[in-house]
Amino acid sequence: MIPYLIISPYIIFFLIFIAFPVLFSIFLTFNKWNIISPMQFSGFKNYIRLFQDALFFKSIYNTFIFLAINIPLQIVIALFLAEILNQKIKFRGFFRAAFFLPVVVSGVVVTILWQQLYGFDTGLLNRILVSLGFGRIGWLIDPKLAMPSIAIMATWKNVGLYIVLFLVGFQTVPKQYYEAADLEGASHWQKFFKITMPMINPTIFLVVILSTVGGFSLFIEPYILTGGGPLNSTLSAVLYIYKEGFFYYHMGYASTLGLFFALIIVSVVVIQKKFIEKEV
Amino acid sequence: MNLIDNKFFLPKKLLNNRITYFIVLLLILFNFTSCKKKTGVDNRLVYWSSNNIYEIEFAKYVVGEWNKNHPDLPPIKYQPVPEGESSEEIILAAVVGKTTPDIYSNIWQGDVEAYAQAGVLIPLDTLKGFNDFIYQRSDSSVVDEVRSSDGHIYQVPWKINPVMMMYNKKIISNLGLKDAPRTYDEYFKSAKLFQRDANGDGYVDRWIGFSAIKTSWWQRFFDFYPLYLAASNGAPLIKNNKVVFNNKYAIGVFTFLRELYAKNYFPKERLSNRQDVFLSSVIATRFTGPWEIEHANKFKPKGFKFSFSSMPVPDGHKGPVYTYGDPKNIVIFNTSKNPQLAWDFIKFFVSKKNDFKFLKLTSQLPRRKNIERDSLFIDYFNKHPKMKIFAKQSKYIRGTDVSPVLKEVFDMISQEYEASVIYGTKTPEQAINDAAKSVSLLLYNQGK
Repeated sequence: MIPYLIISPYIIFFLIFIAFPVLFSIFLTFNKWNIISPMQFSGFKNYIRLFQDALFFKSIYNTFIFLAINIPLQIVIALFLAEILNQKIKFRGFFRAAFFLPVVVSGVVVTILWQQLYGFDTGLLNRILVSLGFGRIGWLIDPKLAMPSIAIMATWKNVGLYIVLFLVGFQTVPKQYYEAADLEGASHWQKFFKITMPMINPTIFLVVILSTVGGFSLFIEPYILTGGGPLNSTLSAVLYIYKEGFFYYHMGYASTLGLFFALIIVSVVVIQKKFIEKEV
Repeated sequence: MNLIDNKFFLPKKLLNNRITYFIVLLLILFNFTSCKKKTGVDNRLVYWSSNNIYEIEFAKYVVGEWNKNHPDLPPIKYQPVPEGESSEEIILAAVVGKTTPDIYSNIWQGDVEAYAQAGVLIPLDTLKGFNDFIYQRSDSSVVDEVRSSDGHIYQVPWKINPVMMMYNKKIISNLGLKDAPRTYDEYFKSAKLFQRDANGDGYVDRWIGFSAIKTSWWQRFFDFYPLYLAASNGAPLIKNNKVVFNNKYAIGVFTFLRELYAKNYFPKERLSNRQDVFLSSVIATRFTGPWEIEHANKFKPKGFKFSFSSMPVPDGHKGPVYTYGDPKNIVIFNTSKNPQLAWDFIKFFVSKKNDFKFLKLTSQLPRRKNIERDSLFIDYFNKHPKMKIFAKQSKYIRGTDVSPVLKEVFDMISQEYEASVIYGTKTPEQAINDAAKSVSLLLYNQGK
């Protein structure tokens, strides 16, 4: 009895805040409900609507575009910076802290800051470009550039976390391998690509998974910066689900979208696991 | 090994006792909090006002007066709507939790139909004295506007903030114009004259006007919708659950706005990131409401003069110029313990004397017929000439159409607005047609 009593706080938390919402949202997928009116059973109508909803598939496409830019960018920059910060350079502690700082700053604050940088007329980036003799760039008002601009901002915000993970990963590589490579006359980058990279594969896998899941939950940045525009080019799947659920109060349909999107995330992670994760 | 039996841990008996005490303590606390509910009958009526400081002051005054004059009746308890991201969200949460107040002022007219259809509002026309009152206060067109699709009336028209064109008098006069541009053609001419690159960096930085390029549904209350009402003499967007905005007026408004963006007379940038663009003369006009008067008076630079004019209309437009009135109304929720008493309070709340007090305290217009000619109000309007412009406009305003999915309707129009007006990827005809198709489908599904 006592063990059950001890684990009961978590069990109660799990049942109320995880199990019940998940089961209730699955139940909602078969219903039409706007919160204020009584729920109506709708069978598979929400699922049929989902497959006819071009905007939802556009939002998924946008999310994948974000991931395609964000993940490689984050990994390359994080690896590069981690490798530099792993050397005995001056002010190493300061730089490590500086790169990590954006991670602990609120996403809303970071987004508002970048909104000022990306401004077309008064933004700092365009002012610099104009002072150097270049033209202004519509970072957030050009439909082709808006999502890459958001991906750059997200990279700046999150790269510090991945630098730390890679730094930890570097410590797991046995020193003997480097000593042996030194004896063979290997260059610094040869050692990095032939020893470090294969040895930190589990860390790379972890970073890919974390940035994939983080990228799939893209919400604050487009919500504040662009509202999903221009021309729905930054409408992420989560933002679309939020709009359906908490703006239009289509709770049944939003639950259906959420469930479908969760299945997509799980599938992507399983595929990634198959292709990236290797035994060290 | 059983950790509980280990001598380094608490003895089982003691632990059991402690757990028992803990559970008993929890039960006592739970019992206390449950018992906190009053045992006596609370017959007070609860009234929620908006949390605008001036409206709070007004609410305090009216509730105080009512309670003072009616000591024999259950008192009214007033409180501002609880803090939240928006008052709409708070009301929705209260509806779901059945914790709605008896009376709520400041409900957006477009929200009422959804609540009425959900059965959470009292049909006011079933209460004694309502029908006589409403026709005394409002024109029949206003009564028709607030009548729900089931034929009942669930809201009292209370206040309006008409959207008009605010303009910089000095700029307009420097352009050689006697008055603010009234038609599309005059607006374009003014725009061409005013447009320039003031700092010589090769980019236009002075525009005739500005409207946020966001696709938020409510943003269309400051561009498309008032212009549509102005062009069409106040035509609806939806009537009897059918789309009626697929017409020359809507196409004309899209064409007008599209040209403003295409010729860079309106910027595509979010100018809200910097200091007030109207007061710093970066733009010459702005589509806005009377709330700007106080703000502009407070922050305007020395010598800055501004005024208001009706929304621009198509060339050759005949008749009065309508606009969107942004109406906020008063409702009684069905959780009310005494709807008739709540209604009696509302009648007092919107009496002529209190409407006048409301105008003086908040600088917002009560939605009362012939207000600009009423002897009680005339003196105020003579002392506040800018408010007088809004009072004159108040005769020609429209609220929103009756539909429970109005936000979605405006969102669909907004999507097409962005594609056609701002980015020019669709012709105005295509965009209006596509918006009409989407809204028709929405209304059809809604009606099923």
